[in-house]
Amino acid sequence: MSTSASPRSTRQILFALLLLAGNTVYASQVLQMSRPFATGEPGPSFLPALLCVFVYVAVLCILGTELRKPAAAALAAAEGSEHVPQVGWLGPVLAIALTASFVIGFLYVGYLPAAFAYTALIAGYFNYEESGHFRRAALIGVVTGLCVTLFGWLFFVQLFDLYLPLWEI
Amino acid sequence: MTAQIVDGFLMLLHPVTFLYLIGGFLLGLLFGAIPGLTATLAIALLLPFTFSMEVSDALVMVAGIYMAGLYAGSITGITLNIPGAPSGAITTVDGHALMKRGEGAQALGMSAFASAIGGLTGVIILIALAKPVSSVALLFQTPDKFSLVLLAIVTVTIVSQGSLLKSTTAMAIGLMIATVGIDPMLPEGRFDFGSYNLIEGVNLLPAVIGLFAVCELIAQAGMPARLSQAQAVADLPAPRRRDFLPSRARIREVGLFAMLRSSVLGVLIGMLPGGGASMASFIAYAEAKRSAKKPEEFGKGSYEGLSASEAANNGVCGGAIIPLLTMGIPGDAVTAIIFGVLLLHGLVPGPTLLSDNFMVVSPMFAALFVASILIFVSVLLFGPVYLRLSRINRGVLYAFIGMISMVGVYASTFSIFQMWVALAIGVLAMLLRVCGYPVVPALMGVILGPYFEEFLRRSLIVSKGDPSIFVTSPISLALLLLTLGFIWMLRIGPARKAGA
Repeated sequence: MSTSASPRSTRQILFALLLLAGNTVYASQVLQMSRPFATGEPGPSFLPALLCVFVYVAVLCILGTELRKPAAAALAAAEGSEHVPQVGWLGPVLAIALTASFVIGFLYVGYLPAAFAYTALIAGYFNYEESGHFRRAALIGVVTGLCVTLFGWLFFVQLFDLYLPLWEI
Repeated sequence: MTAQIVDGFLMLLHPVTFLYLIGGFLLGLLFGAIPGLTATLAIALLLPFTFSMEVSDALVMVAGIYMAGLYAGSITGITLNIPGAPSGAITTVDGHALMKRGEGAQALGMSAFASAIGGLTGVIILIALAKPVSSVALLFQTPDKFSLVLLAIVTVTIVSQGSLLKSTTAMAIGLMIATVGIDPMLPEGRFDFGSYNLIEGVNLLPAVIGLFAVCELIAQAGMPARLSQAQAVADLPAPRRRDFLPSRARIREVGLFAMLRSSVLGVLIGMLPGGGASMASFIAYAEAKRSAKKPEEFGKGSYEGLSASEAANNGVCGGAIIPLLTMGIPGDAVTAIIFGVLLLHGLVPGPTLLSDNFMVVSPMFAALFVASILIFVSVLLFGPVYLRLSRINRGVLYAFIGMISMVGVYASTFSIFQMWVALAIGVLAMLLRVCGYPVVPALMGVILGPYFEEFLRRSLIVSKGDPSIFVTSPISLALLLLTLGFIWMLRIGPARKAGA
């Protein structure tokens, strides 16, 4: 067995461990249900129990395969962004954080301010990453925010007559 | 039935319905032509809006997106060597070689012509076979239905790229997500952790939006602009409109019969659960090469190769809809979402759909037919514009996708919780992608999970727990043998050949 793992293997192992943890939480709920065939019928826990066992076996096999893999001698360095350091993880984290903030903002301040801030920041980030010009990116972000928010309002509220909490401040 | 098909065409003459077709077609072209975006994503984004549409209009629009999206995937493949969708991968080999020879516009025109032939062939076979196949499907008992769902799940899992263990795990994760909420047979909550929000379960829409749209936004945020496919498109000069018309000599050189043969192959592969456009284009390309007069030109700029793959991948469109409508089995991601559109409107795809609601789906057949013709018309009208669509600022594009996805989830469920579900599934899908787990089996698990569980449990209740019920029914046994056959043909056989 190899003692040192490549970054790719480490990622695979961490994700496999995450799946194992999630599966254990799932299994804890299965154990609280009545046992399959306790009443002569498969019951609600039948398929979940099968899935649980399957995922344990599959993930342990994946884990075993990853741990047995030899460490990569020289991995090519991932090409990064010219303007955003560590874009490979910073970008996704930012996108997730902004989307989560949008959901919170949507609830507490309403569609119009939340959507404007969200779309402006997303557009601003992508443009800053591409050009490195903060002012230009901010300007494109603000214009995009206004246009996309207006489009969303026209599309959802005016065209399809769907309810949105527009302004909750 | 002929009268109902004619009625379907007549319904397209209604201005609003026709506008939905044109809108869907243009949306499909837009999403297919922009690298990174797909027809699947376009239909996923459309899903919330179908709530307030007539079901026929929704299906017409989806048909337009599906047909156009399959074609448009080849545009950036030909011009930039970057297929807009996986199904355009094999088209790229010869298409881009032609582009480098200065015949890019001809290649695009020929690709549109072959796609139109493939699309039309698929629709004609769909119209001819849909009713007979659904009559046979009416004979299916519960164990047969379970074996059919198993066939779909297994086939989609084994045709996924990469590790079989990973694709099976992804499918199991999808099935697990589907088990959250009220039990399908007993009034009992599962995996709700005491939360009333979780009792309602994971809705289909947030799952689809999360797996495709949110995941794509997160993935693109981590990709430097200079490495993105859209950046490469920006430097391409736009060709002239007249250059897109394929010459008669070129069509004769390829041969209409060869295109029809590839189209029929595409339809047949599309009918298999898990077949998909990628598999169809690869197999048709291989078959065209086997029977070509000049096989040595394949891979170096062959119009025959280009036409074969394009005719087949659009033929899939009609083929994939046959098992969806007649047996309730979606064969790929797009038909899985069309399945969702039907469910959202209270229609259950399966044997009774065509006997009870043929009028609802006949405009979709007509829309697929007209959309096939529109493919060829569109390349003549908008050929140069296709490339400009790919030059949309990434920031604007993904801001739009992020907003419309999340607000779309809210607008269709009126639940902030479901917005969180979409985000959580998006993050999970991103982790799956990063670690090489395919996402489509997970989607199939989410969609088919409730049916899989219900048919399995019902069968075991009927047999008093005896699993031999699945092999004593002839239809079920045949489907199980077919499943084993697919596993052999698609996984074990190729692995043995590679090892030999």
